[in-house]
Amino acid sequence: MYQHSEFDRAFVVDRAARFRDQVHRRISGALTEDEFRPLRLMNGVYLQLHAYMFRIAIPYGTISPDQLRQLAHIADRWDKGYGHFTTRTNIQFNWPKLVDIPDMMDSLAEVGMHAIQTSGNTIRNVTADHFAGAAADEIADPRPYAELIRQWSTDHPEFQFLPRKFKIAISGSPNDRAVVKSHDIGLRMLSRDGVTGFEVSVGGGLGRTPLVGKVVRDFVPAVDLLPYLEAILSAYNTVGRRDNKFKARLKIAVLELGIEHIRELVEARFKEIRPQFDGSDQQVLAEIATQFRAPDLVSGRGTEVYDAARKADPIFRAWSDTNLHGHKHPDYAIATISLKKHGETPGDASSDQMRLIADLAEKLGHGDIRISHEQNVVLPHVHKADLPVLHAALREAGLGTANLGLISDIIACPGLDYCALATARSIPIAQQIATRFDELKLEHEIGELKIKISGCINACGHHHVGHIGILGLDRAGVENYQVTLGGDGTETMAVGERAGPGFSKDEIIPAIERLVQGYLAVREDASETFLQAYRRLGPEPFKAALYPAKEAA
Amino acid sequence: MMANVVAIPTRAARIAALNTRYRHHAAIKVLGDALQDKELGRVAMVSSFGADSVVLLHMLSLVERNTPVLFIDTQMLFPETLIYQSQVASKLGLTDLRTIRANPTAINAADPDGDLHGRDPDACCDLRKTVPLNRALADFDSWITGRKRFQGADRAALEFFEEDPAGPRIKINPLAHWDARDVADYIANNHLPRHPLVAKGYPSIGCQPCTSPVLEGEDPRAGRWRGLDKTECGIHFVNGKMQRIAPAEPVVFTPEEGRPVIVRDAGFGPEDWTGPILELAPEADLDDPNLHYMDAPMIRIAFPSFSDGRGFTLARRLRVAGYKGRLRAQGHVIADQFPMARRSGFDEVEIDFALAKRQPWELWKRSAEVAPSYLNRLGRSA
Amino acid sequence: MARAFEPVVISANDLFDGRTIYLTGKDEWVPHLRQAELITDEEHARHRMAHALALSDHAVGVFLAPAKAGPDGPEPGHPREAFRAYGPSNYFHGKQAEDA
Repeated sequence: MYQHSEFDRAFVVDRAARFRDQVHRRISGALTEDEFRPLRLMNGVYLQLHAYMFRIAIPYGTISPDQLRQLAHIADRWDKGYGHFTTRTNIQFNWPKLVDIPDMMDSLAEVGMHAIQTSGNTIRNVTADHFAGAAADEIADPRPYAELIRQWSTDHPEFQFLPRKFKIAISGSPNDRAVVKSHDIGLRMLSRDGVTGFEVSVGGGLGRTPLVGKVVRDFVPAVDLLPYLEAILSAYNTVGRRDNKFKARLKIAVLELGIEHIRELVEARFKEIRPQFDGSDQQVLAEIATQFRAPDLVSGRGTEVYDAARKADPIFRAWSDTNLHGHKHPDYAIATISLKKHGETPGDASSDQMRLIADLAEKLGHGDIRISHEQNVVLPHVHKADLPVLHAALREAGLGTANLGLISDIIACPGLDYCALATARSIPIAQQIATRFDELKLEHEIGELKIKISGCINACGHHHVGHIGILGLDRAGVENYQVTLGGDGTETMAVGERAGPGFSKDEIIPAIERLVQGYLAVREDASETFLQAYRRLGPEPFKAALYPAKEAA
Repeated sequence: MMANVVAIPTRAARIAALNTRYRHHAAIKVLGDALQDKELGRVAMVSSFGADSVVLLHMLSLVERNTPVLFIDTQMLFPETLIYQSQVASKLGLTDLRTIRANPTAINAADPDGDLHGRDPDACCDLRKTVPLNRALADFDSWITGRKRFQGADRAALEFFEEDPAGPRIKINPLAHWDARDVADYIANNHLPRHPLVAKGYPSIGCQPCTSPVLEGEDPRAGRWRGLDKTECGIHFVNGKMQRIAPAEPVVFTPEEGRPVIVRDAGFGPEDWTGPILELAPEADLDDPNLHYMDAPMIRIAFPSFSDGRGFTLARRLRVAGYKGRLRAQGHVIADQFPMARRSGFDEVEIDFALAKRQPWELWKRSAEVAPSYLNRLGRSA
Repeated sequence: MARAFEPVVISANDLFDGRTIYLTGKDEWVPHLRQAELITDEEHARHRMAHALALSDHAVGVFLAPAKAGPDGPEPGHPREAFRAYGPSNYFHGKQAEDA
């Protein structure tokens, strides 16, 4: 993976020192809270309900064992011994003191990490496919490009005070695991006449106005990537609305001005900007690429141990059925560690769990760890013969849950338990759904089903693209949950449709149970997933299950 | 039995002989011959990778690039220096770069909070520079420095060779007779990279806390330990003690109620523009054919709020279009945005008295000591 | 008829550690909601808010938080205020743990 260069090191050390100074100035009164807020946000520091929250970037979800151990150390030293992995592959600490955060930043800088641009109206942490470099279906590893974009966007002088936040995602595979079309810029890697390039979409987003990104240019050669991105940002900084924060994202500009207009503007800016790049970025890219070389995988070791364990141990078999994905090398697997144990907070990991994952990655996984946007941890290169040992160690630490892609593998934002913007809680709903279906012993029978929960309209829990989406709202001071159906966050991205009136916090769990039982009753056979059944049958049978009384009336 | 007495010349005598022998040598010849001269023994170069260092380093790379180069990382240096150091070393192909740092135990004991420079700058130089360097120099008989006569009154009598008062060594100063012009010409003629801070008003670069930019007309080393009665760090002495000169006083400007304050790299100043100004609102459309901006001697772009970053893109587009006039940001721009404004193409920022009072020059200056830029590395023109 | 004024307390977060704080009738910022001044009159609320903003050096995001009278002092008037006053529901952290 990418090792911070001396340059990166100097940069993050400098930034930490600057933030320390800004904190001092805020406390002394030289900075007002209004002026300090964007500065702290540029460094990932929010003020939430109970405390500050510190969001640390895990660029394109890639993290080393040493870095993960340092996060564990930070959790123990300055927080409450755990961290929360987010849908944008960041990690959040919920309880830091403002005056400790500069020390936390120094501690991050020691391992080449930072919190720069994890918040604020700027270009955020670039996300990529969490199986990058390992997936069997990949065209090329997108991470060198993601790292190039990280460098370009970091501290870009023009784009620190955009109309609104700006998100870029990149996928190196036709199977989109990075939800690229729900981003301000989505990049899908292509190869045309032997030239690597990208299909570039703009104006995707979830939130209050969920929109699927539109293709602004069908092929941008990789050598033009940075000037093309800069052209889009330059255009957005000019035309993005600043009069209404709910209409300030690029997607609204695309919606209101039309993709044709945006395309003209971007292409005109691109002409201005292209000559400003002298090609050095391609050398930097080549250097970066050498750092993402595939690990030295072992051939000919045999996978009999794995096959035997699958026969002998039903618990291991269940885990390997759900939590493994195909690797480029037939003797290897991509193993996903679920952070969704039934009844626990989705995406949370204790410091001990972080240290264990770091150790296991070193011993069994070529030292490579990924954080997925679905709030799980991925070991992308595990030899099949090592899987039984891995699984046993994970189980002992409460990390062996076999539920990937199943109903209890729920994405949930922090919600009203922590977040100052939230209108209802998400975490307890996720906990109760997982616990309920675990009691019913139904989730393997149900098969692939993605539930995603957001505690407010901003949709950090991606509810719009959940097969079942749950949106928590505030109805006159009471938590209320709206259900959406048929969303899809993959290459066939679709925004879910609202099913009907919302449910109270006591009604929502039985409602989801009825909905799932309804699906089981109408599906053709066990191979037809919830989403497939929904697409075949339309919303009616599902609404009928959700609102039985209404149907009877 | 009495031993044969062999006349061993004193160090002073050896140095006098060396200075006579090398009197008419050019700098590079001094350097080349010194590296071969048995009289000088084992030789290392000591370099700060500061404003002028690239000259000697370049010469060394031509003469003998395997010579040990000692670089003192005080751990208080500008990040730019660290980056510049690795760039220069790799560009010149220097093979034996040794980074010298203070013993961590010594730092923990004497300067646990990193604020010794504020309390006792001499002790800080001792701890972080002089002591580690002397330790590293124990392996050598002579060392090469980049000191020059023109750098200050206390260096005015500098020779090619001199005694090292700190130990039994000889100091070699190949550039002793060079002046600022020679340095600039050499760097330009050989296309050598300049330290990025030179362009920001630092003709002499030391540690971050104790270096500030120098105004036109000031002594080039006036920015070192500004305001303190100190001009040398303790590595260099003249006649065994420090020679002190007072740095020139910069012109004092005091913001006044009701008058704008113009912020430039060199400091706060009064309004000095009397010519016509083309005013641009943040929503100005540069593609409007009726907007003739290219010949405007000054363009002033309004910042109604610091959170409205449209002005940065306007400035950048103007510069990309080839606008060469004076470009000013006006309004609610805060100190922390100064580097963004400068890097987007603004020359200066105009703020009001209240903002200048709340955010004095000290804050802008600190902010202007900009972090290294990724964009420069990626080959995007500034 | 104008809507009746719902009672409030003046609340904020502490600049140093971000903790929820409340304003008492004696102009002190305290960590416990039950010690806060319950304000039931709109005019008085406006007056106290202006005063709070003026003395709020280390109080960030001062606002009027919905509250209601209880036997031991003010109680939360909205779910959000309940979480702010006592802590999250998924872990025993925050104020609830400090008071335990």
